[in-house]
Amino acid sequence: MERKIRILICKPGLDGHDRGAKVVASTLRDAGFEVIYTGLRQTPEMIVRDAIQEDVDAIGLSVHSGAHLTIFSRVMGLIDKEGAGHILVTGGGIIPDQDMPKLTGMGVGRMFRPGARSDEYIAYLEDEIGRRRLEREAQEV
Amino acid sequence: MRVITDMMAFGADKVPQWNTISISGYHIREAVSTAVQELAFTLGDGFAYVEAGIAAGMDVDSFAPRLSHFFNSHLDFFEEVAKFRAARRIWARRMKNKYGAKDPRSWLLRFHTQTAGCSLTEQQPENNIVRTALQALAAVMGGTQSLHTNSMDETLALPSEKAVKIALRTQQLIAHESGVPYITDPLGGSWYVEWLTNTMEDEAEKYFSKIDELGGMIRGIEDGFFQREIGRAAYEYQQALEKEERIVVGVNKHVEEAEDLKIPLLYIDESAGEEQAERLSALRARRADPAPLLGSIRAACENGENLMPHLIEAAKGDATLGEIVNAMKDVFGEYREAAEF
Repeated sequence: MERKIRILICKPGLDGHDRGAKVVASTLRDAGFEVIYTGLRQTPEMIVRDAIQEDVDAIGLSVHSGAHLTIFSRVMGLIDKEGAGHILVTGGGIIPDQDMPKLTGMGVGRMFRPGARSDEYIAYLEDEIGRRRLEREAQEV
Repeated sequence: MRVITDMMAFGADKVPQWNTISISGYHIREAVSTAVQELAFTLGDGFAYVEAGIAAGMDVDSFAPRLSHFFNSHLDFFEEVAKFRAARRIWARRMKNKYGAKDPRSWLLRFHTQTAGCSLTEQQPENNIVRTALQALAAVMGGTQSLHTNSMDETLALPSEKAVKIALRTQQLIAHESGVPYITDPLGGSWYVEWLTNTMEDEAEKYFSKIDELGGMIRGIEDGFFQREIGRAAYEYQQALEKEERIVVGVNKHVEEAEDLKIPLLYIDESAGEEQAERLSALRARRADPAPLLGSIRAACENGENLMPHLIEAAKGDATLGEIVNAMKDVFGEYREAAEF
């Protein structure tokens, strides 16, 4: 891939469980990604604004608070409103099985839960973002 | 610090049996620090509170006996027992020698322990019962005063009734069946545990020197020192897992493909948030205007009066936690952590 993958790693809401987000950020950086970490207590508005300003390929949301449906639906709504549908929205945390189809239905990418291996999410991001870039190029031609 | 010293002064004066603060290392370890970092940073915080109390003009023996600590108990059994023992030694020595405490109760490090949520696995969750039991046993052998055992399903959801009951029964089993709680410091005298306790004390002392060099705990937090140290430890831990230098059963060894989850899970949908929002609106509609109560909090923040009576009055008057905190923020401002990783 010619251009490095840029990803925004975010901690939305009041959830302070940031170990996973930080470890994933460090792992992606070491794997050659350009990583921007927002820190704690971000609103969906702040996240989508940062993602557009930083021209990222993907947003990774870490949610351990149980508020994932609310947060992802707001982020997806804002992404849609801003016409930024090329940005992949993915993430991880404590996400029950029954909520997975709801997230997929909103257009959210794969979710990674406790015990996920770095080679899994790195491969996913590379494949999915590679595919989206090709699609975008095809549209521009 | 202002809130802490006000709480300690108010407690000493008005509610002398109350444990004023719980000096926590739990969140430090849950961010996957090492055991030594948990030990050193928690006690470092404790000493910073003691110094703040003394600087605010209080006699150390007036508030120190009611300070309490809160530790994590992780999986390395002997390391955890040694950590608790080292914590008591360091606390007693410093309280006596450095801070001049004369009341022996000020020398006692009393602590609560919670087993390590961060050690639990989503894979084969029933194994978490065993992990929690081992951690709870280490806490009891290390001399904890109170104990919280985690539920097996906490990496999957908020705990179910069944999972919580097993966690509670684990404590009751240790209390009534194991015989362990009847002996004080049962591993004292073991060459290995004594060596490990000494080693952890030495390692913690190295951190205390480093913290002094940095200019104290608050400077260390502002500089991001603790966040960086803990973040580095967490990253190394994850790397060790992925390289299989550290084994976690069900995650990187004895893995079962296509696991069939057989435990019940609690599901909380979005209506929980909506109901709380409705309760809050109803409260706001029926209460008297809390503005004067919030005004008195702002005034106390500014004029140095003890905040506690004002906070209690505001809570009695149905001011919300958000309103109370915002009133304090109006005067004190807000801390924002630098987003480092």
